[in-house]
Amino acid sequence: MSAALEVHGITRSFFGVAALRGVRFAVPEGSITGLIGPNGAGKSTLLNVVSGLLRPDGGTVRFLGDEVTGFAPHRLAARGLTRTFQVARGFPRMSVFQHFMLYGPRQPGEGLLQGLFRGAAARRREEELAERALGIARRLRLAPLLDAPVTALSGGQKKLVEIGRTLMAEPRMILLDEPMAGVNPSLGAEIAAHLQSLNAEGITLCLVEHDMPLIRQLCGHVVVMAEGRTLVTGSFDEVVAHPEVQEAYLGHRA
Amino acid sequence: MDALLQALVNGLLSGSLIAVPAVGFTALFAILRYPSFAVAGYVSVGAFAGWWVNTRFGLGAAPALVMAFIAGGLSGLACEMGALRRLMPSGALTVSIASIAVNLVLENILRFVFGNDLRGFDLPILPDLQWGGVFIGVQQLWNLALAVAVVAAVFGFLMFTRFGRAMRAVADNPDLARLKGIDPRRIAAIAVVLGAGLAGAGGVLLGLDTSIDPMTGYRVLLSVFAAAVLGGLGSVPGAVVGALVLGLAEELALLAVPATYRTAVGFAAILLILTFRPRGLLGEKAV
Repeated sequence: MSAALEVHGITRSFFGVAALRGVRFAVPEGSITGLIGPNGAGKSTLLNVVSGLLRPDGGTVRFLGDEVTGFAPHRLAARGLTRTFQVARGFPRMSVFQHFMLYGPRQPGEGLLQGLFRGAAARRREEELAERALGIARRLRLAPLLDAPVTALSGGQKKLVEIGRTLMAEPRMILLDEPMAGVNPSLGAEIAAHLQSLNAEGITLCLVEHDMPLIRQLCGHVVVMAEGRTLVTGSFDEVVAHPEVQEAYLGHRA
Repeated sequence: MDALLQALVNGLLSGSLIAVPAVGFTALFAILRYPSFAVAGYVSVGAFAGWWVNTRFGLGAAPALVMAFIAGGLSGLACEMGALRRLMPSGALTVSIASIAVNLVLENILRFVFGNDLRGFDLPILPDLQWGGVFIGVQQLWNLALAVAVVAAVFGFLMFTRFGRAMRAVADNPDLARLKGIDPRRIAAIAVVLGAGLAGAGGVLLGLDTSIDPMTGYRVLLSVFAAAVLGGLGSVPGAVVGALVLGLAEELALLAVPATYRTAVGFAAILLILTFRPRGLLGEKAV
């Protein structure tokens, strides 16, 4: 199986403190890969580097074979690599539908002239995107909430909006930052089912998550990070049995 | 009755003067997420820039406002990029304290160049209009009109232009905005020019109302801050409403207490609003 994402020797420090010290791993194409590790392992920093929000000090990121290190987030999105945020705040003044429309790609109406005069191409694309937004909302069972402002949604619904937003960008791969954090269990199960069905359609997923039963249920491939490095990679059962992983989570054995 | 009406008119007129720098202050806060007390300096820089084109070239109020906007905006950009931004990693409080220092620096540069004297704009003195027992200064009416025009222009900019939308997106959620290809650093630079420029334009309006000196901005700083807090920090309509409410409150208070207590109204307004409605009159709930 070829790799959708390859991270090689990524380093990044903040004011002299190293958060990432040469992380390397690969996310197999078509997999659901779990990225786990104790707090402070550098998972969020890594996600920010891969999604283009942070520039690494060193190392390379390759997506579907092409080097994309340090690409701006919107360029990565255009290539099919998008992300969700742990704190799914969205734009407070906008509705669910507007969020979806905003992240629809290739909208000529975003140009000044097309936007002002609403040219035929912009209108056509807008109809396509609206259709697509409606489809995604139905699929994620958000259709009744399409016109609601995101501030009116529950935490779990906001996470669904995040996922829907990434789907608008026609992704090949989605990075998910704690998609279940702060979500009630029944909606959590629903989100898990959505993730599985997206993966079944060929979208590669990589999620940072603390919920171990969920990782075991969803992820065929698990990467464990600790202290800014990759510790172990493998299946869930392999990595949890690994002594180094137990040590990282539970501390040194006496 | 006339005294009350006169107080209402005066309050509205003086509130409209505060509204312009208050919108600048709140716009800076919305993007940079720290209260920049350097606006006092930008107000004074703008006031002197406007005064300079007015007295040196004999230009009217509108060109003076444009010049003040440019001078205020550029001084803001220089201070923000040259000094304040570098302190960002140390937290909002540090930058905010540094902005007080920036204000002192700007104030003293002005003092060094122009001296400490009071200076007035060179405009014809117009007789007050009288309406019943209420007096309204013609210049004050012009100031009101100019303030309304400036605030309307800012609204238009924020609501309808690409930069305005991008600015609101960054204020709401900088990371999400980046996914859409908006560069928050560029937007921050534009916001600084806009916010500091408005402060500068406000300086000219204040100068047209009375006179200017290097402390012009510092003297209104509390009112500007109170207006922005009153309306909800980061909310542009809030800053306008806050300024008008504050102007009215100050003038109405004068009916009951001696003029020396005028400044206390600003403090009282901040205390009251923080006690009973911490997000301000039009502010949004903190997430």
